[in-house]
Amino acid sequence: MNRASLFVPTAPRDWLLPVLAALLVALTLFMAKLEPLFAAAFPHLDVVVYQRESFLQLTLDHLGLVLVSSLISIGIGGAAGLFVTRATGREFEPMVSSLAAIGQTFPPAAVLAIVVPLAGFGFVPTIVALSLYGLLPVVQNTIAGLGSVPPTTLEAARGTGMSAAQILWRVELPLAMRVIIAGVRVSVIINIGTATIGSTVGAQSLGTPIIAGLVGDNIAYVIQGAVLVGLLAIVSDLLFERLERRFRYGA
Amino acid sequence: MIELQGLTKTYAGKNVVEDISLRVESGEFGVLIGPSGCGKSTTLRMINQLIPLSRGRILLGDEDVSRLKPEQLRRRMGYAIQSIGLFPHWTVAENIAVVPNLLKWPRARVDARIDELMNLFHLEAGEYRDKYPHQLSGGQAQRVGVARALAADPEVLLMDEPFGAVDPLTREVLQNEMLRVHEQTRKTIVFVTHDMDEALKLASKVAILNQGRLVQYDRPIELLVDPADGFVSDFIGKADLGLKLLSRRWVDQYCRPPCLERDSGAGRHSWEVDADGRPLALHGGRLSDDGEARTAVNGEWIATPEMTMKEALSRMVWFRVMVLPVIDQAGKLIGEVTMEGVMGRQP
Amino acid sequence: MTASSDRAGRLVANRVLLTLWVAALLASALLPFAAMAPNRLVSGEAIKLIVALTTWQSAGLALLALLLALAALSRPLSATQGLRLTLVVAPLTLLLTLYALGDYAGRALAEASPAARVSQGAAFWVLVFCTLLMIVDAFQRLRAPLWVGGAYGLALVAAIAGLFASGQFNALSILNEYFNIQDAFADQLLTHLRLVGLALAPALAIGLPLGLLAHRRPALRGSLFGTLNFFQTIPSIALFALLVAPLSALGDSFPLLRELGVKGIGAAPAIIALIMYSLLPVVRNTHAGFAGVAPATLEAARGMGMTRRQVLWRVEIPLALPVILSGLRIVTVQAIGLTVVAALIGAGGLGAFVFQGLGQYAIDLVLLGAVPTIALAVVADFLLQILVAISRPAGGR
Repeated sequence: MNRASLFVPTAPRDWLLPVLAALLVALTLFMAKLEPLFAAAFPHLDVVVYQRESFLQLTLDHLGLVLVSSLISIGIGGAAGLFVTRATGREFEPMVSSLAAIGQTFPPAAVLAIVVPLAGFGFVPTIVALSLYGLLPVVQNTIAGLGSVPPTTLEAARGTGMSAAQILWRVELPLAMRVIIAGVRVSVIINIGTATIGSTVGAQSLGTPIIAGLVGDNIAYVIQGAVLVGLLAIVSDLLFERLERRFRYGA
Repeated sequence: MIELQGLTKTYAGKNVVEDISLRVESGEFGVLIGPSGCGKSTTLRMINQLIPLSRGRILLGDEDVSRLKPEQLRRRMGYAIQSIGLFPHWTVAENIAVVPNLLKWPRARVDARIDELMNLFHLEAGEYRDKYPHQLSGGQAQRVGVARALAADPEVLLMDEPFGAVDPLTREVLQNEMLRVHEQTRKTIVFVTHDMDEALKLASKVAILNQGRLVQYDRPIELLVDPADGFVSDFIGKADLGLKLLSRRWVDQYCRPPCLERDSGAGRHSWEVDADGRPLALHGGRLSDDGEARTAVNGEWIATPEMTMKEALSRMVWFRVMVLPVIDQAGKLIGEVTMEGVMGRQP
Repeated sequence: MTASSDRAGRLVANRVLLTLWVAALLASALLPFAAMAPNRLVSGEAIKLIVALTTWQSAGLALLALLLALAALSRPLSATQGLRLTLVVAPLTLLLTLYALGDYAGRALAEASPAARVSQGAAFWVLVFCTLLMIVDAFQRLRAPLWVGGAYGLALVAAIAGLFASGQFNALSILNEYFNIQDAFADQLLTHLRLVGLALAPALAIGLPLGLLAHRRPALRGSLFGTLNFFQTIPSIALFALLVAPLSALGDSFPLLRELGVKGIGAAPAIIALIMYSLLPVVRNTHAGFAGVAPATLEAARGMGMTRRQVLWRVEIPLALPVILSGLRIVTVQAIGLTVVAALIGAGGLGAFVFQGLGQYAIDLVLLGAVPTIALAVVADFLLQILVAISRPAGGR
């Protein structure tokens, strides 16, 4: 390794992401190896590592819930945000904006609890609830991001003879991207949290050992699930922080 | 009276203000001027201790200000700045009343003072008293800013480019008001600007600063005729030095009795006046030297005694006459200024 | 530029209203308005709107629907008249829908077995949702001031509360459920509010000074916000759960603390977690509020001879207050929602009904926990929004 690179200044928390990501992967794969540790800490428990399902499977299930629902949220939310900022959909903008604002005052857990039973318990209904809630920050930030492009920039773009589609792709979306990604970040972080509660409505996730632990009075299960899901959330957040940084133009 | 003795400010080992000594007498209008970064604002802000000074002494009257608590000192000095800084959550009246309230004046006295100041700055109290800053125009806001600075009848008024952010027309109006207010209150003023015309118009004495040092401190006319060095003459600007000189001269200094009959005076022109002595028309007095031409006087090609000669000359050129009638407030002809007069009199 | 000429030539003046109208119509035609079940635990038979309503109710609803369609068109009414008509007709539609549901439940149960239940269906929810959105949209277009909306909302809430009080809905399954747990409901509601209050008070007591500190000491900002964001990112259930272990250890080793309520399961971990969640918005908004005070204003304040304390209390705090209160609004709404999850670690609150209901597949019980929570969040949001508006300097917007 080049010695000089040791002295390249980096953002203060840049080391955090690889370290926590490695920790997440290691714990997901080798949680069972920590059995002696948990056994020493909780001597009164018979079983100290959650065994009904592997942590790898639980993590993948959790990621599956979040990924599918977030993709749906981004697709629908982005399209809705785009529609109401174009001339044809502008009339719907105040309505959609206030819907997104009011909707986000709804507690995600309450939304989950109402929507999932209506659609029948399990994976798909949970996806529906997560996507529905995750839509709101995406819509809100898409509208805010596209609205933050300075009118003078748009006028200049029109002045150079760009078509509406070219202005959207080359000027508006790149300039709005940082704010849009910030919305996706909020949406994904909320979904990671809500998916944890999804285990109470029949969708298996990293919340499953937590709930099992709380119900069965097994604190070791609770810690195992909580540490993994906490790490998952923080690693995702740091990833989005990096992504946002790439779209920061000057400001 | 305010006196700076060897005032010095050091930032990171560099003197941004170096050994400035000057004295603004009671009732004088002192202006600090110089290019940006010359230390004029820093100097001003050291006077009311918004910036602590590194070396030197400041005397207010015969008191050393370092003996006073900064807050007490600032309440004795009015302070007006370019960005005005009106308190957005308070009405015009509450803004003006800040310092009197800090000094715990009785309510009635504060109210009376607000009315007095709004009157002084021609702000209709009924209309503006309860308005909020964002409802004012730039010029009105700056009037309130200056009124606020004057509210507690301070011994000294400090002003940091107060008219720098308003449009040229408003600036001229505000400058005229400032002159009038100074005339009426005889406050000691220290005024920072980078606009030479503003300095020449307002100042009784101008301090020119360059790179933290005081280059020249003199009456405006002396700066013009006797600049201390090349920097000063460059800064004043050589191109229209003559016009700048005339901007420090007033019509009443050049005024002479009017010629009411043809060929009676030096010029070959005469004035036609009505029964009340108001000028109606000028006979002759055009560049073509046509003695027969009759030019009707209108409201614009006239001069008043308090007008600068620069303005008077400008009007002569614009209306193509060699002579302007000088009238008093009632519109009566009291004299005339002529092109020959402009040329003939040594400044 | 061409918007006005477009509008003049168009048949539909209010496309939002028309969209909502079509959605409500489709839902009424295709989705069940109510469900009729032989007992509490089985899902019932779907009942369509047209079946559930009496003749006069159907006729009334049809008339109201016609009026709403009229309001959406550009002729013969002007745009403003159309919006005013919406503001009269939409709430009537809402009230009629509510009334009809209760009325149907009463009629259906009169001839069914005592265990039978009638609950609301998807079409009912869509109708409620669409009429509420019609009202919101009309207010937005009329640009009515906040207090007019508030008064209108209050009147609407009073009308609905009147329907409840008159016993119109007593036959509905969800109210049966409510009467079963009436006392527990009041208890859990109070517990919910108490948890929120007990978390918010310390969050403000810690967060406000921290926010001021972040403003005064820029060097601290990065690490402070980083740490608080860390808490904010961890999923609520994980943070609640992670606090269970250390607190139970603490409670086990110190009986005195245990007596004070510090133990693994219950209110203590919930309150601590809620405080941790609330800190970031409080600190961030406090900092933003102070940072938003114009430098010129501060310079003027100091130049006038205000002391530091006077500058803080007379200038900085009043000017920062709206932003600080917006932070309070965020954390209040957030805390009301997170407290639902706190029920999982035995802290109680309305979430207890939600998870109890989910465990028993008793949807009405879930709704009894979830709907009041949502209502609480929305009401708190609205009230704090008004408080923020009031705290703005009188003229300054």
